[in-house]
Amino acid sequence: MLKATNLRKQYSNVLAVDGVSFEVGRGQVLGLLGPNGAGKTTTIRIVLNILQADAGVVSYDGLPFSPQTRNLVGYLPEERGLYRKSRVLDTILYFAQLRGMSASVAKAEAYNWLRRFGLLEHIGKKVEELSKGNQQKVQFVASVIHDPAYVVLDEPYSGLDPVNQMLFTEVFMELKQRGKAVIFSTHQMDAAEKLSDHLCLINSGQVVLKGSVRDIKKQHGRNSVHLEFDGDGAFLKSLQGVRNAIVYEHSAELELLDGVGTGAMLSSLIGKVDLRKFEIREPSLHSIFLQTVNMGPNATR
Amino acid sequence: MNKAFVVATWEYLEKVKSKAFLISLIMTPAMMLMFGVLPTFFAQQEENVTQAIGIVDQSGNIAPQFSERLEDRYRLPDDQPRYLVRWIREGKTTDDLRKEADRMVFQDEIVGYLVIGNVAHGDSVIEYRAKHTGDFRLSKRVEDVLRQILTEQRIASRGLDPKLVSDLRVPLDLNPVKLSESGKEEEGGFEKVFFSAYVFLMMLFFLIFTSGQLLVRSVIEEKSNRIVEILVSSCSPTELMAGKVLGLSALGFTQLAFWGIMGLALSLQFGFDLVDPVHALLLTVYFVLGYLFYAAVFIALGSPLTTEQEAQQVNSYLVIVLVIPLVLALPAIQNPNAGWISILTYIPLLTPTMMALRIPIQMPSGLEILATILLMLVSIYGAMWTAGRIFRIAILSTGKRPSLRELVAWVRNG
Repeated sequence: MLKATNLRKQYSNVLAVDGVSFEVGRGQVLGLLGPNGAGKTTTIRIVLNILQADAGVVSYDGLPFSPQTRNLVGYLPEERGLYRKSRVLDTILYFAQLRGMSASVAKAEAYNWLRRFGLLEHIGKKVEELSKGNQQKVQFVASVIHDPAYVVLDEPYSGLDPVNQMLFTEVFMELKQRGKAVIFSTHQMDAAEKLSDHLCLINSGQVVLKGSVRDIKKQHGRNSVHLEFDGDGAFLKSLQGVRNAIVYEHSAELELLDGVGTGAMLSSLIGKVDLRKFEIREPSLHSIFLQTVNMGPNATR
Repeated sequence: MNKAFVVATWEYLEKVKSKAFLISLIMTPAMMLMFGVLPTFFAQQEENVTQAIGIVDQSGNIAPQFSERLEDRYRLPDDQPRYLVRWIREGKTTDDLRKEADRMVFQDEIVGYLVIGNVAHGDSVIEYRAKHTGDFRLSKRVEDVLRQILTEQRIASRGLDPKLVSDLRVPLDLNPVKLSESGKEEEGGFEKVFFSAYVFLMMLFFLIFTSGQLLVRSVIEEKSNRIVEILVSSCSPTELMAGKVLGLSALGFTQLAFWGIMGLALSLQFGFDLVDPVHALLLTVYFVLGYLFYAAVFIALGSPLTTEQEAQQVNSYLVIVLVIPLVLALPAIQNPNAGWISILTYIPLLTPTMMALRIPIQMPSGLEILATILLMLVSIYGAMWTAGRIFRIAILSTGKRPSLRELVAWVRNG
């Protein structure tokens, strides 16, 4: 289990991380969510010991950080990059050895992973000769080749095409099944919803929402309506009895004020748009995210 | 520190394969060869054609002797005369003669001509007129021959026998012998001392510089593509920095060994003098010290940078510091005991290069050697410590280059 307790990090005039705690067990995926600048990256850097926290503790299966625990962690950073002029296999072996693997074991593993990703033919090429998608695969291989117990993935889907997104999702699920503790930071709510067991939403350096995906949805699920319609839905945003509305071109998600009945809402919509679907269900993570962030400690309204 | 070796191995292998390294490996000796050998080579090349020189001498006292002696004294390899002298006398006035001579110059019949004035009466200015007046060797030879003729004529005019005077003249050759305290004597010509000092300075300069640049470039690359985050989550910044310094030092030694073997082969092949082994040992010591010290300087100044352009700016400042001993080589050879040389020796940025300059010229005392080595060890420790404090923060900072004040704060607060 990877456990962070009361992490705190102050930059010259910004409190980037303020009392953040979470834990993620083996075989679990923790979705770390939050808007840009919320403190996700700083939190991740503290967990990986790239940064020293001003206060708070990170423990790895109960052990404090040590040079040995470095080898238990795998990290895929948000901004991707490899040595452009270096060869694929050399690069992977370098990162593997930096995590304490022997070159010979690493080489065998590298072949396995590259075969899996269909990259064997590129093994001797320079990184810059590979397509962007293939470079991302190489980087992913480099971050998990040493079979880490804890895997930190920062925006793993950014820049991937749908085919590769599928491939990566498959591999992530496999990591989970093999008993890794995975921390998964993202803006993509649907991906977080599908992959995560637990969520931790950070805003302005503080945890504003935490729990299992099911619990969180249950908590927020009393008063949410999903619509599909034809016509101009602009009026939905200022509709009476609606606390929050997310309006798209032909669909919308409305969160109703307490005490507003769904029946009354339905009748207030009839005649204004051509309704094709009216569904009462749990809110999407996206809606919960927006709602929580807006109500957070530094909300603008 | 096992991971430092992983980093070192990587840095070494990746850099050894890089183009920049190969270029510096080959270019440095090539450039030294170019500066050292080519000018002499080309200068000697020209000595295989006969040149015609005109002379305008209305008195007729000098021209015949001049032509005889100049043609006699300087010969081509095939024993043809190097110079042919043409006495220009088709004309009445000096002006006429000059016009004729000018015409010959422009039609390339002669390379130039001498106008002998009233030398018999003490005038010692003789004009040499030509399209190109930059041939120093020609000027010097003409001057030598003319001086000899005029001197003899003056001696004869006082009633003495010129032959007697030339017999009485003492031939003298100053043979400089370099003394060292070990009691060994060594014939040390100016060229030899200058050349060996210069070669070492150049080598030190190029070694420090190529590796310093490689170091900064690799840090900038790792910062810009965020590889550094993976690196410092895998190993500590201290290990990373130590690995880089180690890897690049190994690179420097590869270069040094390559040049050393090349030099040895050349000297065995062509019978140059070998460098004194004591010198070589001491120079290697200063090499290592200078290398490590500058590695720290490059890390401290280079790791906060984020673009290649900024790196080039910082590099150009460092070039100036490193070039100082090269500029000072000449005055230092003329006066190795000057006070300012000792003072410069104790500025750590200059210590290795100044010592590399001084050792071949005049071996400094044992006390000075000990003192400078100690000074360098202390400086390296301090510089590495400072560089490490900066490096830890700098590798994660992007965007604006930190101000000097921020750098100081980084060092102070760690």
